[in-house]
Amino acid sequence: MGPVPPEPTTNPAIAAYGPRRTVVAAPFAGLLAWLVPGLGHIYLGYHLRGLICMVTITLTFWTGVAIGSVQATVDPHERGLWFMAQLGTGGNALTAYVLHRAVESPEPLGARPVFTAHWLSADVGVHYTGVAGLLNLLVILDALGRAEASPVRRRRRDHPPGIP
Amino acid sequence: MNSTLAALFTTAIELTGTQRFLLMLPLCLSVAVVYKTTRMKDIRAIPAAVLVLWATIVLAMCAVGVGLWALFSILV
Repeated sequence: MGPVPPEPTTNPAIAAYGPRRTVVAAPFAGLLAWLVPGLGHIYLGYHLRGLICMVTITLTFWTGVAIGSVQATVDPHERGLWFMAQLGTGGNALTAYVLHRAVESPEPLGARPVFTAHWLSADVGVHYTGVAGLLNLLVILDALGRAEASPVRRRRRDHPPGIP
Repeated sequence: MNSTLAALFTTAIELTGTQRFLLMLPLCLSVAVVYKTTRMKDIRAIPAAVLVLWATIVLAMCAVGVGLWALFSILV
């Protein structure tokens, strides 16, 4: 295994742009982390951590879709709560939903198209995709925490203004 | 090429009960990898910590399963 690149000790957004930009950096990192798992970390300079999260969560999500099929796995009508969990992966879930809509067979108005996968496969697929979404929530919160942990905020917290 | 890729995600894989159980292992690995990646300060310590957490999750889930099965066998 090669040498591990050093990680930033402070928030690189502050180092590059100054404290004012961190107001934007934290939500932007969160948005990026939601759209593409791990991208928020990469934006903040934690490249290896971001890459690990990106590969793991994306692989978990699409493995679930491959096991259960996109019709049975990503279905907001039949599995509403699971779909909310899947939405944690942002871009992946939206892409899967677009694929779901694309392969859904056209039915007469009012009739719900019925697709049946083997229940074991559908269950495993839903669990994989749902867990991937929930894991990405963890990654989003971690990215937000890392963006917030700037030296300026730490100094203000440890030494509030007006108190010697 | 495109149709093969689409078929990969539109055709469900038929699983047996044993395969379903075995598919718990990579899912637990994913949980362990993401959790430890967010928590560990030293990146080089992640692989060992992931292995320990993965083994802990799998063994704990097996223990809970065996415990519930034993309880079910006694009560029913």
